[in-house]
Formats: sequence, C-alpha cells, structure tokens
Amino acid sequence: MAEKFDVVVIGGGPGGYVAAIRAAQLGFKTALVEREHLGGVCLNWGCIPTKALLKGAEVAHTLNSMQYWGFSADNISFDIAKLVAHSRGAADKLSSGIDYLLRKNNVAVFMGEAVITGKCKIRVTTENKKLAIDAMHIILATGARARQMPGLAIDGDRVWGAREAMTPTVLPKRLLIIGAGAIGMEFASLYRDLGSEVTVVEALERILPIEDREISQRAEKAFKRRGVDIQTASTVSSLRTVGDHIEANITGPSGTVKVQADHAIVAIGVTGNIDNLGLEALGVHTERGFITTDEWCKTNLVGLYAIGDVAGAPWLAHKASHEAMLCVERIAGETSARPLAVDHVPGCTYCRPQIASVGLTEDEAARRGINTRIGRFDLQASGKAVAINEPEGLVKTVFDAATGKLIGAHMIGPEVTEQIQGLVIAMGAQLNDRQLVETIFPHPTVSEAIHESILDSINRAIHQ
Amino acid sequence: MTDKMSLVTMPKWGLEMSEGTVSAWLVSEGAKIAVDDDLMDIETSKIVNTLTSAKSGTLVRILAHEGDLRDVGAALAVIALADVSASEIDAFVAATVSTEVAGTDTAEPTAPVAAPVSLAPAPAIQSQTPRASAPVPMVADNDADFVIPASLAAGADDSAIAITPVARRLASKHGIAVNSITGTGRHGRVSVDDLRGAVIAAGGRFNVVSALRTNASAGGKRADDSQVPATPVARRLASELGVNLHDCRRTGRHQRVSKADVEVAAYRSNPAQESAVTAQSSVASNAPLTKLPSAQLSSEPLSAMRKTIAKRLQDSKREAPHFRACIEVEIDRLLALRKQLNNARNDANISVNDCIIKATAMALAAVPAVNIQFDGSQVTQMPHADIAVAVALEDGLITPIVSRAETKGLVEISNEMRDLATRAKIGKLKPAEFQGGSFSISNLGMFGISQFDAIINPPQAAILAVGVGERQVRPDGDIGFRQATVMTLTLSSDHRVIDGAMAAKFLQQLKNFIDQPATMLG
Repeated sequence: MAEKFDVVVIGGGPGGYVAAIRAAQLGFKTALVEREHLGGVCLNWGCIPTKALLKGAEVAHTLNSMQYWGFSADNISFDIAKLVAHSRGAADKLSSGIDYLLRKNNVAVFMGEAVITGKCKIRVTTENKKLAIDAMHIILATGARARQMPGLAIDGDRVWGAREAMTPTVLPKRLLIIGAGAIGMEFASLYRDLGSEVTVVEALERILPIEDREISQRAEKAFKRRGVDIQTASTVSSLRTVGDHIEANITGPSGTVKVQADHAIVAIGVTGNIDNLGLEALGVHTERGFITTDEWCKTNLVGLYAIGDVAGAPWLAHKASHEAMLCVERIAGETSARPLAVDHVPGCTYCRPQIASVGLTEDEAARRGINTRIGRFDLQASGKAVAINEPEGLVKTVFDAATGKLIGAHMIGPEVTEQIQGLVIAMGAQLNDRQLVETIFPHPTVSEAIHESILDSINRAIHQ
Repeated sequence: MTDKMSLVTMPKWGLEMSEGTVSAWLVSEGAKIAVDDDLMDIETSKIVNTLTSAKSGTLVRILAHEGDLRDVGAALAVIALADVSASEIDAFVAATVSTEVAGTDTAEPTAPVAAPVSLAPAPAIQSQTPRASAPVPMVADNDADFVIPASLAAGADDSAIAITPVARRLASKHGIAVNSITGTGRHGRVSVDDLRGAVIAAGGRFNVVSALRTNASAGGKRADDSQVPATPVARRLASELGVNLHDCRRTGRHQRVSKADVEVAAYRSNPAQESAVTAQSSVASNAPLTKLPSAQLSSEPLSAMRKTIAKRLQDSKREAPHFRACIEVEIDRLLALRKQLNNARNDANISVNDCIIKATAMALAAVPAVNIQFDGSQVTQMPHADIAVAVALEDGLITPIVSRAETKGLVEISNEMRDLATRAKIGKLKPAEFQGGSFSISNLGMFGISQFDAIINPPQAAILAVGVGERQVRPDGDIGFRQATVMTLTLSSDHRVIDGAMAAKFLQQLKNFIDQPATMLG
C-alpha cells in the first residue's frame, strides 16, 4: 500500500525546503524528495558558492589597491584551489544545515528521483528501493538549469556552465563570457579581480538588461574602467575548441571579430527542470520550458503546484521561498496568504560595484503610462563612500508623481545589496515620499544616499 | 517581597477560555528565564499553545505540574527576580494562594463551597507541614477530620482578631483559638488556610473539605464511578490511588471532581499514607491504594478533542435508540462514471466517497424525512443536504460538512472535500465547517472494512456507514452468473424520529442513484 502524506515537495532548493518546513510547521504530514543535494542550485551551485568566491575577489581587489592606503608587499601568491575549497566548504556546511532543519521539523526526506504517476500519486526511486506515495498535495520545486543553445554547448572542459565556472583548477588567462545577466557579470567581476582578461558578449544593447538603463550604463562604465572588454548588441556566431583554447567569432554592429580564450562561460539564461517528471502524460500545462501556474502557484492538474524557478521568472531564490510559503499557506487555508507581488521582488547582483533594485525601472513605468518623479543621488557626494574610497555609484528612486508612492528603486555602489531591503519594506508598506523623507538615516552610512535620492525626487536634496 | 518574585498564572486566551491543562513544562525548576522564553505548553478545549514568560529571572517553583487542570488566573509557577531563599518562596506562595482564597471568601461569604478552593494542591503548603515526630497533646474533635492540638485549644477571648467569616465559623466550631495565628489573607485577616497551616504545624489534623462536604455517598468504593463527572486528571489520579469518585467532592468547574478533591479523598481514606512517604511497608499493606509500577502502565489525560468525541458519542448512544438497516449496492456503473469524469477533468480527482456524498445528497433531497435535526424534543426539517463526512486524524476524527451537497456537482464536491480534509488534518476548520450538518457519512472502505455500524452524530438523526467495494459473483437470471463490485451501506437511524420504513425508503433511493449514477445529474 502506498505511503500517505498530506504534502509532498519535489526538490530541496530554497523553494522546496522552505515549502516542506512551512507545511510541517502548519501540521501537515510532509515529505521532500531531492535527487542530488539539499539546498538546490542556490546553495550548492549558485548564490552561496559564488558569494564565497567573490569574497576572494574582494581580497584580491584590496591587495591590488594596497599602495593607495600606504601598504606594500612582495611575493603575494594566490592558490585558486584554496578559494574553491572555501567555496565548496561553505556550500557543504549549509547543505547539512538544511538536512538538520528538515529533520527537526519532522519532514520525511527521500533522496531519489520522483515521478508523478497520476493525480496525487508519486513514485520515488531511491538508491535501493522504489516507493509509491499518495499525496493530497504535490508541490513541484525542481528548479532550473543553464539554458543551452545550438553551437554554444557546454562541454565542461573548455566551454563552462556555472558549475565548472565556480570550480576552476587553474585561473584562466583569457576568458570569454557569453551573456551579461547577473550570472555573467558576477563571473566577469570575479575573474577580472583575480587577474583574468575578460570579454563579455551580450546580445541585447546593454549589460544587465533587466536593470534600469542608467544603472546598466554606470555598470558598463565601471567594468570598462576595470579593463573588461564589453561587446553589446553582439552575438557569438561560432564557438569551437581548438587545441587548448577556444575560438569564437563575435558579430556586432561593427562587423565580426575573432576572439581567442582559454575558456568560455555560457550564461544565457535558464530553462525549467520539467523533464522526466511525468508531467506530459498528465497534460500539465507548460510554457517555454516552465510550468504554467495561477497566482496561488496551482497548475491545471488537481493537487499539483509549482513554485520557484520551474514556475518561471524571476529566477531568484527568495522568490522561490516566498512562493513556497504562499502556496503552502493557501493550501492550509490561511487567510493571510497573498499572491506574489512581482514588482516587490528585489534583485541583487554581487559584482563590483554591487547592483540592487526593486520595482519598476524608469522605462517600465513610462511604458505603463505612469507619470513619474525621479530622485537621483550620486555617491561622489556621499561622505561614507568617499571615506572608504568607493565613490562610484548611484541611488535612483522612482515615484508615482500623482500619489508620491515609491514604485521603484535602483542602486549601484558598495554594499547596496544589503541596503535595498529598506526600500523593499517601504514599497511593501506602500510608503510615500513624504513619509520616507521624514525617516532618519544614520550618519555616516552609504544608505544616506537613499535619503538624499528621495529628497531629490521632490527637489530638496541637501548634498548635491 | 513581591518585587523579588513574580507569579506565573494561567493565561486567558480568548473569551471562552476558563481553564487550561499544563500539557508540558518546557523548562525545569532552577532554570534561568528571559522575557519571552517559552515556559510551558497549555492545552485548552480548543488549542495547545505555549505560554511565554513576561519576566526574566529564575524559575524557582513549579506549582502546577504536567496534566494539572487550572482555572484562568490560577498560580502556575514562581519566578524569582533576585536571589531568594526557599523559605521566602514558601512564604510568597502561601501569601499569594491564601490571598486568592481570602478574596473568594469575602466575595461569597455565605457560600462555604467556595472555601475548598484553598485546598488546590499547593506544594509550598505541603512543604510547610512539619511531620510530627513526637507525640503532641491533642484535643480530639468528634469529627475525625479535625484534631486540634492543645496548644491551639480555645481559651482566651479572640473576638478582636480579624478573620474571614468562614474561618471564624470553623474556628469556633472546632474550638480553635486564633489569637496566636498570623493572618495572611486579604487585609491581614486570618484565612481558612492560616487556620489549617497553624493546626497542621502544631501537629493536628484539619480537613476542611470533608467538613464542608455536601454530597458524600456512603460505601461507594466498589460502585462504578464512570458516570461521575470528573476532570480527566482527577479520574486518572483516582484510578491510580484507588479512590472511588463517588467518595469525592465535586468542587471543580461544572461540578466536576477535581484533582484536589481526589487527593483529599485519598488522604481521608488513609491519612497515614501521606505521612508515610518513607514507610514502604504501609503502602504495600494497603493493596487497593498501591500504585502499580509506572513502567507497566502509561496513562494520559484525554485530549480536548477526545473529550468532545467521548461526550458526544456517549450522549448519542445513551439518548438515541439506534437501529440499523443494511443494503448492498453494485457500484460498477458508479466506478465507470468516476473514471470517465477523472479522465476528462484535469482539475478533479473524484473518489468513490465523493460519489457516495453526491448520491446521499440526492437521496436526502428525495426523502427529506431523513434530512433532519432532532434535539430530543423538536424535529427541525433541514432545507439542504449538509453532509458531514468523517475524516480520520492522527488522534481522533472530525466531520467537516459539505453544505448544500444536493446543489453541487461531483467535481465541486470532490474539490471542496479535498480542501476540507486538508484543513481538518491541521485543525484549521472554522466551527461553521464542522458543526451542525443534517446527515453524516463514515467510510472505512479504504481500510478494507466490508460492513460496520456507525453512531449517530447529534443533533442529526442518521448516519451512513460505507464499506469497501468488493468483486463478487452474483446470480444473473435463472442459471447465469456475473461479476459485480458490491458495497454494503449501513444506515443507523434514531428511532425516535425515523421509522424503519422511512430508513428503508431512503436506502432504496440511495441504491437507485448509485445503480444509475446518471440520474444524479438530473
């Protein structure tokens, strides 16, 4: 007889494990199936290990600029294996932490592959047995993987995906990065600080194309100043391995150029993990590689839900975790559950300088016909930014001119990923410019620039 | 003194909460406590919740132990905010508890029944009681409950002493001089507790509860006491101590026997037992009072849910004369319809039970005489088939209601049932979703049960028990046979309001709908 659960979650990433823990907290008999690592891509092959590597890049940058601060040193050496070991160690430690959390909450964890065999029916194949499970509710949180395109196949040797890019054994001298989204730009920043020659190719006309135009331009300028070769409105028309390097033809507005590099990193987006789950046989609706869901994460199949990357953009861990909670709470009939407000999902890119944003860009607000008031504050005038010698940056705030409501915020500069949360809260609480202006920001901090930006939106900036 | 210690009391969570049971202590005596630290889990008739500390300090005394039922506001523990000695704690507890009692006394001076509240178990008071080690001169009262030491015998005029009315009456009745007793009650008056403390401290006996006892029943030791209203904790303690509940006062809420009542009765029936903590032989010689080794038995108080189930079904079985009628139905056509619908509809996963709900609703619409509520005197005709469906939980069951089921399609019923069952599992049903109803269905088919009888869920007047569908060979025509999937349905009806013929008519209708499921759609 099949084992019975109230809720079964497939996938143990930041969507899946949060869904399982929340379900268990609410009193459901809950199981989670994971085929590889608890913590998913985020923790094992994404957010966390790349942040560990980027810390090493920051150290490299500090060492590179030590003479400015009066220091000098000889014979500085770098062992990339140690940095990678730190990164893997951080991932392993956190992964075992997830295992502990699941067990603490009495979630049954099955390490294996899951297939949905019928409505509310799952077959789990673990290393040594097959198991039939009946579940009142099944939550798919299988995530996404790097998208591949014909001619840009990831071979794991010379042409890397994100996994290979975060476990190098030798620092590449020359690196070609295809795709200038958050992942591509983080690797560009990382390898540039560690000493590689980096070329970035982006098909759209600017890097970080989902960010506000001004922020993209600032970032491009900063990267170019760091010596990164940026080719926008360009595509890789051919990519092949020749001996111990790759050769690529890059076609752009000014024709085609040939580029040689030790390795290429393909970071052209992700595609949902929807295969081999039995979805097709059951007629589950999908769209361009992702599962179609309603505002409560329900699919068209009774008792089946999808959250996180596999349910589509934005492909962010915190969006997955948020959907996990609203999906489970909706199942539990919690009246406090609310559908995801996509415009309130913040996004962060951990390159140098960092980029963080929430809500509408100026262009998007205009496209929606919203009459806006924009505030800007350049970090050149921020005391703290000057003091720490990182005055490169901008805080841009977008308000609805009619109501004074904050509808977007876009930041580039030091540690802005840690500061955006203040504006996310403001947006969630539907604060307007007057209320924000009355907020006291601590001095001296980089976050004071947020205050100045808001003041600027009503032409009251003090420091510029 | 009070600024050095703080009393933790039974909280009031919600308007209707009047009492709570300590279900688990999360910290132990001596533990350091910070503000908002979890102290204990408290179970009410509705929820189990965690009580957190409002103070920071040291938990120095637990006054209510796991399983103890306490009224809202009753003392549960003492938290020391600074260094305190054991005697200070004792004094603080005694003062707090007797203050509560004195308050009760003055509030209802003519109601002596209120006084026994002071005997709610208070470890501090017990620990105050010195065990008499040497013979003490006694003045024996004619009531064995009161042995007044000579040192306290009435003599000098004590009429000027401030004393509560109840305590005054007891003191004069038993000839106790109150001159030397320190009053700790409200306004510094001598309370019943002070009397008791003084008498026991001087080596006497002072059993105020039995003195005030009103409903003593003689010689009930061997009588069945299962009908005596008692708190679960009291019932368990009584069985452990071999006390018959007929011998106990009923001072608890709703006139139930409380834990304190059982302790008093146990003490009265064998006063030696309490003081004979070290005298194992005396315990052994009192076989009926001997506790069984705890390793052999584990007993737990009923959860609030089980209490409700127990009471409702007990009432139903006692009040409603049940009669049962069975019918066999072939469900092959129903199964075919279900399969067809499930194949066609991605958004539904219709179960056999969902189909039975729909068929029952249609049968109730056809035979409204079964679709009623009955409160013992009045029959209410219910306008819709509001069908309560039993859902098994880890520790009980609940019957969420599919309302107006006769107006709903199978897909709608199925998805509503999925939602109700989901929320039932985690206790998130609203009262309106499981209270009332016009009819119940209980299905044990998924466990392979072929036939069973169910108990009516009042105020409803009938319940359908559904067995498993089994493949059978059935006679067909004169000499032929065929295979069929057969299910046995058993209707339990309250004969006060539903007669046999009416039950038969209902089952006949139900069988028709199941035989020809297409007719349910009409």
